[in-house]
Amino acid sequence: MDWTLWLELVIKALVLIFALLGGFAYLTWYERRLLARFQSRLGPNRAGPFGLLQPIADAVKLIFKEELTPAKAYKLVFFLAPIMTLVPSVIIAAVIPWGPPFQLGDRIVTQSIADINVGVLFLMSIASIAVYGIVLAGWSSNNKYAMLGGLRSAAQMISYELTLGLAFVVAILLGNSMNLTDIVEAQRDGRWFVLVQPVGALILWIATLAEVNRHPFDMPEAEQELTAGYHTEYSGMKFALFFMAEYQKMIVVSAILATLFFGGYLGPWVDRWPLLGPVYMFLKIVILLFIMIWVRATWPRIRYDRLMAFGWKVLLPLALAVVMITAVGILLAEINPWMIWLIPIFSLIAGAFASLMIDRSLRRKAYA
Amino acid sequence: MATTVSTKSVDLSTIFPDAVIADERKGYTGWLVEKDNLIEIATYVREELDYDLLSSVTGVDYLPEEKMEVVYQVYKTTGGPGLFFKVQIPREDPMEIPSVINIWPGADLQEREIWDLYGIKFPGHPDLRRILTWEGFEGHPMRKDWQEPFYEEETKPFKSRWPKGEHIHAEEINPYHDNLKFPPKFNPENWTPTDPEEALYTSLKKFTTKNEDGLEAEQIIVNMGPQHPSTHGVFRAVVVLDGEKVVSLKPVMGYLHRNHEKIGERNTYLHNMPYTDRLDYFNSMANNWAYALAVEKLMGIEVTERSEYIRVIMSELTRIQNHLVWVGIFLNDLGAVVTPLLYAFEERELILDIFEEVSGARMMCNYYRFGGVVRDMPVRAFEKLKQLVYDRLPGKIEEFERLLSENEILLSRVKGIGYLSAKDAIATSMTGPMLRASGVPYDIRRAEPYGIYDRFDFDVVTRPECDLYARYHVRIEEMHQSLRILEQAVSTIPEGPILPKKPVYQVRVPAGEAYGRIESPKGELGFYVISNGKPNPWRYHVRAPSFINITALEKMCVGEKIADFVAILGAIDIVLGELDR
Amino acid sequence: MSPELILFLVLSLVAIAAAIGMLISPNPVYSALFLVINFSTVAVFYLILGAPFIAMAQITIYAGAIMVLFLFVIMLLGAEKLAPGKVLPYQKPLAIGLAIVLMVESVYAVLARNPSDAEIIVPTEAANSIDAMRDLGIMLFSDYLLPFEVTSILLLVAMIGAIVLTKRAKGEQE
Repeated sequence: MDWTLWLELVIKALVLIFALLGGFAYLTWYERRLLARFQSRLGPNRAGPFGLLQPIADAVKLIFKEELTPAKAYKLVFFLAPIMTLVPSVIIAAVIPWGPPFQLGDRIVTQSIADINVGVLFLMSIASIAVYGIVLAGWSSNNKYAMLGGLRSAAQMISYELTLGLAFVVAILLGNSMNLTDIVEAQRDGRWFVLVQPVGALILWIATLAEVNRHPFDMPEAEQELTAGYHTEYSGMKFALFFMAEYQKMIVVSAILATLFFGGYLGPWVDRWPLLGPVYMFLKIVILLFIMIWVRATWPRIRYDRLMAFGWKVLLPLALAVVMITAVGILLAEINPWMIWLIPIFSLIAGAFASLMIDRSLRRKAYA
Repeated sequence: MATTVSTKSVDLSTIFPDAVIADERKGYTGWLVEKDNLIEIATYVREELDYDLLSSVTGVDYLPEEKMEVVYQVYKTTGGPGLFFKVQIPREDPMEIPSVINIWPGADLQEREIWDLYGIKFPGHPDLRRILTWEGFEGHPMRKDWQEPFYEEETKPFKSRWPKGEHIHAEEINPYHDNLKFPPKFNPENWTPTDPEEALYTSLKKFTTKNEDGLEAEQIIVNMGPQHPSTHGVFRAVVVLDGEKVVSLKPVMGYLHRNHEKIGERNTYLHNMPYTDRLDYFNSMANNWAYALAVEKLMGIEVTERSEYIRVIMSELTRIQNHLVWVGIFLNDLGAVVTPLLYAFEERELILDIFEEVSGARMMCNYYRFGGVVRDMPVRAFEKLKQLVYDRLPGKIEEFERLLSENEILLSRVKGIGYLSAKDAIATSMTGPMLRASGVPYDIRRAEPYGIYDRFDFDVVTRPECDLYARYHVRIEEMHQSLRILEQAVSTIPEGPILPKKPVYQVRVPAGEAYGRIESPKGELGFYVISNGKPNPWRYHVRAPSFINITALEKMCVGEKIADFVAILGAIDIVLGELDR
Repeated sequence: MSPELILFLVLSLVAIAAAIGMLISPNPVYSALFLVINFSTVAVFYLILGAPFIAMAQITIYAGAIMVLFLFVIMLLGAEKLAPGKVLPYQKPLAIGLAIVLMVESVYAVLARNPSDAEIIVPTEAANSIDAMRDLGIMLFSDYLLPFEVTSILLLVAMIGAIVLTKRAKGEQE
C-alpha cells in the first residue's frame, strides 16, 4: 500500500467522522425546531440566528456538567458502555457510498471509506453488536429502571434484527450483489428499489426505527414508565455519548435506507459532477429524518409486549413473504422484463393482508 | 333524560329503635348510631336501602364534649339525597370503631386517613397504616389538642398580625427546642430507627408466583415515584412486578401533605375561599363552588340569579379546560411526546383568559363568594366567551378528537386496559368520569342538582366498556355536553345583582353542619363544614375526588403491564394538591 | 515483519488473554464479555485470511446474536449476584484432562498437516471477489444441497419444539 492511499483513507475517515458529529449536533437542532413547529411553538431560537448556535451551547453545558457514578455500579462497564454504544454508530457508516468515484489528479477516488464486497453483511453485523452498549449500560447502572430498559432493548433489537436482515436480503436480491455501490448502480435511470419493492422499503424503515429505538419503538427509554431507561444513571458527557450515538444512528440508518431503496447518491447530473452525490444523499437523509421526527411528534408509543408481537407475528412473516415474492419475481423477469412489476403488485397485496393482521396482533390481550 | 329523584327520607330510628337515635343537635341532621351496631346497620343501609355509594367518611373531634365522632355520608347511585349517620365514641385512647371496608371498600383510604389524623382505629381494616403522614409521626394532627411546632393560637386572625400588623416571628415566641416532645422513656441517643416502610413492603408481599416446578419466579419491587416523570407530581406507587406484569401495588402519598384541613379550621370562613383554590389547582372555579355551597347551606342564604348563571358558566369552562388538559396529558402518558398536550394548552389559555378577566387570576381565581361571585363579568369577557363557545371550541374539540381517536396504536393501548366493572367502581366510591366510564350514569348535576343545573338540558355521558377507552371517550363527550350547557347559559343569562347584600369581611355562620358537593371535573368534590357559631369553622373536611379515586388503582392495575400502570394512573386524573391536602 | 503479521500477533495475544479472562472471571457477565472479545478477534483473523464473509457471519451470529442472548439470560436470572454453586469433586481434574487432550489433538493436527495442502488453504485474492460468494452459494445449493436442507430441517424442528414446549406450559397454567 502506498502512502497516498493511507492519506486518502485518513482524510476520508476524518471527513466522515466530522460530518457525522456535525450532523449529530445539527440534527438535534433540526429535531427540536421541527418538533416545535409540529407543536405550534418556536423551539430554540435564542442562541445565534434561528437558534443555530444552540447545539454548541448544549455541548458546553454537557461538558461542564458533573458526572455521577452510582456507588453500586459496575464501574468499568459503566464507563465503557457509552463508548461501546457510540463506536458502532460511527463505523457502520464506513461502507456507505456517498457518491460515485471521481478523478483527482491521476487517481480514482471512491466516495466511501471501504467499498467492500460484503457491505450489506457488514451493516448487519455492526447493527447486531450495537445492542451491547445499551444492555451493559442498563446492567452496570445497578438500577431497576435502567435494567428493565436494557433488557427490553436486548429483546427488541434481537427481534427486529431478523426483519432487518430479511429487508437487506430484498435489496441484495434486487441489486444482485452485496456490494453497496453495486446496489446503488443497479438503481440507475430512476429504477429505485422502492418502486419495485415498496413493502420491502417499508419493512426496512420500520425495522430500523426499532433498531435505533426511535419513536414509536423507544421502549428502552420509555420516559413515562422507565424514567429514562438504560441511561437513567448517566449524566454529563457520558449521557451525551448515548445521545450522540442515538442521533448518529438515526443519520446512518437514513443513509442506509436511502442507499438500499432510494437510489443512494443517484440523481440528475451526478455522473458529470460526482460531488453532487453527497448532496443528493444529504437531501434524501434529511427527508427521511423528517419523517422520523414527524412520527415522533404524532404517535403514542406501542406497548412493549405488543411491539414484540408485532415484530414476530406480523413483520417477520411479511418480510419472509416479501423475500419470496421478490425472488420469484426476479426469476420471472428473466423470461419477460415486464414481469418485474409483478413484485410490487404481489407484495402490496401481502402488505395489505399483513396490515389486517396488525389489528389482531395488537389487540390480542392474552399475549405474555 | 328523565330524572327520577326520590326525596323520601329514611327513618333509621324506627327500624333500629335500640341502636339509632336521630341527631337532634341544632343544625344537624342524620342519625347517631351505636358503635356495636354499626356493621349491622351499615349492612342494612347498603343492602336493603340501596345506599351503594359511600361518599365520604370523616372524623370530627368534639373536644369540649370529650367525644370523637365518625361521620358516614352515603348516597344512591340512582340519585336522591344522601343518608348521614354518625358514630360517637368517648374521647379516650384506644378509640376503636369497626371498619366498614367489607361493606363499602371505598372506605379503605378514608379510614386510613382518619386513623392517621384522628387516631381512631378501625378493627377489620386489612392494612391500617398511616397515609398522609409518615409511619412514626408523633401524634394525630387533626385532634384539637395537637399543636404544630410553631403553634401560635387556635384561630385566625392571630393577635401577632392583627389589628396592628406587627409581625412577630413564630420561632421567637416558641423556640424550636421547646417544641420537641419525646414520648416517655425515649432517649434519642440510643434510639435505633426501624424502617418506617416495613409495614408497606409486608403488605405488598401477599402474592407469589410459583410455576409448576415449585420454583418461585423472581419478582422485583419497583418504586414508581415519588420522583418520576409520569406520576403527575410527588405521588408514589410501589409496584411488585413479575417480568413486566404488575402483581401487586400500593399507593403511597402524603409527600405534599400540609394538613389543609387543620389550616382550614384555623382560618375564618372567608379565608378559606382562596385556600380552596390550592386543592385542585386546575379547577379553582369548581373548588370555590363546592365550598361556597356548603357554607351557603349553613348560612341559609340564596344565591342571586345572575351569579347562579355565572357560576354555571365558570364551572363548565373549567370542566372543558380540565378535560382538554387531561386528554393531552393522557396521550403524553401513552408516549405521544407532548404534541397533544400543547394543542390542549392552546385552548386552555383562551379559557384562562376569561378567568383572568373576571377574577384577576388565571389559576387561583378566588372568584366565588357566599351568595354570589365577587364581581360581575365584564362585557369584553362575555364577548370572548361567546366567541369561544359558539365559534372556536366546538371545532377544536372535534379536531382534538380526530387527532388520535382512530389511531391503531392508541386503540391498542386503551382498549380493554384497566378494566373496572360498574359494581367495583361503585363499591370503591369512584365518582366522576371514572364512574361514568364504567357505565354508571351518576352525575351530581343530575342526581342531586345544585345551583341551577336542573334548568339545563344535557346528557349524562356513559360508556359501557369500563376501560381506558371508555374513560377517554367519556371525557371527550363531556366537553361537548359542557358546551351545550354553556350555549344555553350564555343565551339566557339575566341581568341583575351579583351579591344579595353588601359584601362583608366577616360572615356570620349559625351553628350546624353542612355537606356541599358538586360534580367537579375529577369527580365528586365535597366540603363538610361544621360551625359552632364562632368566626372559624369547627370542622372543615374536603372530600377530594383525586384521593378517593385512587382506591381502585390496585384493582385496575393488577395483571396489567407496567406501561399500562402509567396510563391507568393517568386516566384517574389526579392532582397532588388535592390528593395530599 | 509484515503489517499483517504484527496485527496477527497482537490480536492472538488479545484472543488468548480474552479466553483466559473468560475462564477465570468470577462474574458471568464479564465472562460473556471476554467471550465477545474473543469472537471479535477471531473474526479479524478470518479477515486477515481473506474470508470476509465468514468474518461477518462470525460477528453477526456469535457476537451479535448468541452472546446477546447469553447476556440476556444471565441478567434476567441475576446470575451475577449468586454465590458460586457447588463444585463437583471430579470437575477440575476432568476439565484439565480434557483440555490437555484437546490441546494435544490440535497440535498434532497442525504438525501432521500435509504441506501440499497449504496451497489450497492459503486464500487467494479471488476469494475476496464477488464471485467467491456466488460460488459459495452455488456450492451450497448444488454439491451440498442435502446437508444444507438437513440442517434447515433440524433448525425447523428445534424451533417447533421450542414453540410446543412453551405452548404446553401455558395450557397447563390455564
